[in-house]
Amino acid sequence: MNGNECVSETLGDYVLVRLKGEVDLSWSQQVRRAILDALGDTGKVGVELSEVSYIDSSGIAALVEGFQNARSRNQKFGLVGVSAAVMAVLQLARLDRVFPIFADLDAARSA
Amino acid sequence: MNALRPSAPSARDPARAGGRRALSFLADLSQSLAVSLDLKTTLKPALARIMDFMQAEGASLFLLDPATNLLECKICAGPVDIVGLKLEVGQGVVGRSVAENAPQRVDDARRDARVNARVDAETGFVTRAILCVPLATAQGPIGALEIINRRDGGAFDEDDAEVLRLIAAPMALAINNARLALEVAEQQRIRREMLLARTIQKSLLPKRRRGRFPLIGVNLPAHEISGDFYDYFDLPDGRLAFFIGDISGKGLDAAFLMVRVASLLRWSGGDAPAPAAWLTEVNAELCRTLQNGRFVCAVVGIYDRNKRAAIVANAGFPPALLDDGKDFVELPADGPPLGIVKEAQYGERAIDLGASALYLFSDGATDVREDARSRLGADGLRGLIRRYAALAPEPRLRALLGELKRRRLVDDTTLLLLQEPRGSEVRELLALRFPARPIEMRAVRAALRAALDAEEVSPELRDRLVLVVDEACTNIIRHAYCHESGEVAPDCECGSIALRATREHDMLSFELRDEAPAVDPARIKPRDLSECRPGGLGVAFIDATMDVWRVEALAGGRGNRLIMQKRLAPKSENE
Repeated sequence: MNGNECVSETLGDYVLVRLKGEVDLSWSQQVRRAILDALGDTGKVGVELSEVSYIDSSGIAALVEGFQNARSRNQKFGLVGVSAAVMAVLQLARLDRVFPIFADLDAARSA
Repeated sequence: MNALRPSAPSARDPARAGGRRALSFLADLSQSLAVSLDLKTTLKPALARIMDFMQAEGASLFLLDPATNLLECKICAGPVDIVGLKLEVGQGVVGRSVAENAPQRVDDARRDARVNARVDAETGFVTRAILCVPLATAQGPIGALEIINRRDGGAFDEDDAEVLRLIAAPMALAINNARLALEVAEQQRIRREMLLARTIQKSLLPKRRRGRFPLIGVNLPAHEISGDFYDYFDLPDGRLAFFIGDISGKGLDAAFLMVRVASLLRWSGGDAPAPAAWLTEVNAELCRTLQNGRFVCAVVGIYDRNKRAAIVANAGFPPALLDDGKDFVELPADGPPLGIVKEAQYGERAIDLGASALYLFSDGATDVREDARSRLGADGLRGLIRRYAALAPEPRLRALLGELKRRRLVDDTTLLLLQEPRGSEVRELLALRFPARPIEMRAVRAALRAALDAEEVSPELRDRLVLVVDEACTNIIRHAYCHESGEVAPDCECGSIALRATREHDMLSFELRDEAPAVDPARIKPRDLSECRPGGLGVAFIDATMDVWRVEALAGGRGNRLIMQKRLAPKSENE
């Protein structure tokens, strides 16, 4: 058990993709598909990252692809509860001001 | 005006014709003297021509030796050979013409007190008339030109004296020129030979070793050549042997002796004797062969880099200085200089070098003059060492040498420094080889994270470095090993990646090797981070984090090597 987890929860019109563990190349394709699937379901998608202790550029790429798909279809896409580890990589990639980032689920859903 | 002998006087104007003839002779003579600086080839025929021109029975040329102040006959023409005849200045007709720097004319030699009758008595030649003029130069007469007996039996007259004076001028000039040329040539020859000797001496000094080598030496001769020497060399057991020495006295013979003693020490040290025994052996040999009260001061030593331990023995050399950064410890001589006492025994000392510096210096280093009166001295040298203590060994030695050069060197000066370069070890923090699969990366990151924590790298930088190394590995997996998506089948016989992390002082280095087909390093470029797109971030992360990085294709078309380096920021004072 490596502690990695990717679970999608549907809360009304909002789909939350909960990620846990270390997002790297070994399963970032799985994350990518989960995010794209979530966008196919409904209008609003959030990716919960508070328990992600590591993310590499392939994980970031999955988030970017989700964000771009959502925007092209006028869907809402945001990051929720971004951990310090993820924020550091977002800043390094200069993406910290590109994604809508929310402190928690309530803020994300009401946005 | 009386016609110049032996002119065939012209009926119209005998004086003018004679004068023209004399001028033409002078011109020819000057030219013949000018063809060569070799006096032996020019002066002898010139003198014979002068004798004939002056219609004399004999002629001789005397030169003054400034060292002895004697006049010596160098060349002569005529029936009597007086080459080698020496006269004092003031003695006889020749001596007087030089002493008075004026022509001397003797009309009747048998009745003239100036004439030395000895030559005639020895040779049977009868001297009747003499004319002698000095070879005048701006620095005074350098000799004299003498002619004997007019062939017609008469006496020389004033006109003859005037012509001979004119003839003497180009001869004096030619002799002076040749002497000056010889002096210059001699000086150049000596200078060339000294430079050659210096070059040979320098070639005997060991070459500075590249990389982190614990011994550095410098030799600064007070003149062209030096009586000082030093050397270091590897022993078969891996230890280093070194020595430094100073030959008593100066000059060429000290320099030659230096060559011999340095060879002897090198030869004798080759089989790694204990330093005391090393000195004892060389001393015995030098006592057998050294002459003229010469002796040699020297320190010999053997250094074990692994233990950072040295053993040294000092034969009359200035005390070695061991500097631990706070205090100096003096290591005085363990016995007399080499080559004096045949039975001399030498002690030796063990030095725990650690991070300390051992300075060995010939007395020239402390004999440099601060000003007209005062020597730099041992205290002055310690002060200089302290002033530059913060520098690494090589720049420190350079700085010390610069300080010594700014003062006045009075003796050969040689310095040998034994010190392990600071931060010399490249420490390995991590070495892993793992299959080129994404699933491996989690463990690799954990291992690297732990290694960087052990180095007390700040958490922010640690996470960045882990990310970047991970990105580099996944790039190798995706692009070099061609698993673009990152999805590698479990049964894939994939290659491997070797990761090595090292630290040298404050420089962290990460090296990744693979066995994938060679990539074109030019194609690996960081993307512009300001555009928002999913791919290509990895190289940008590497570029933004590392100080330097580069990819090299390994020889043979298979395998690549990525080097990334990051210098740790110095810790601030309150940390």
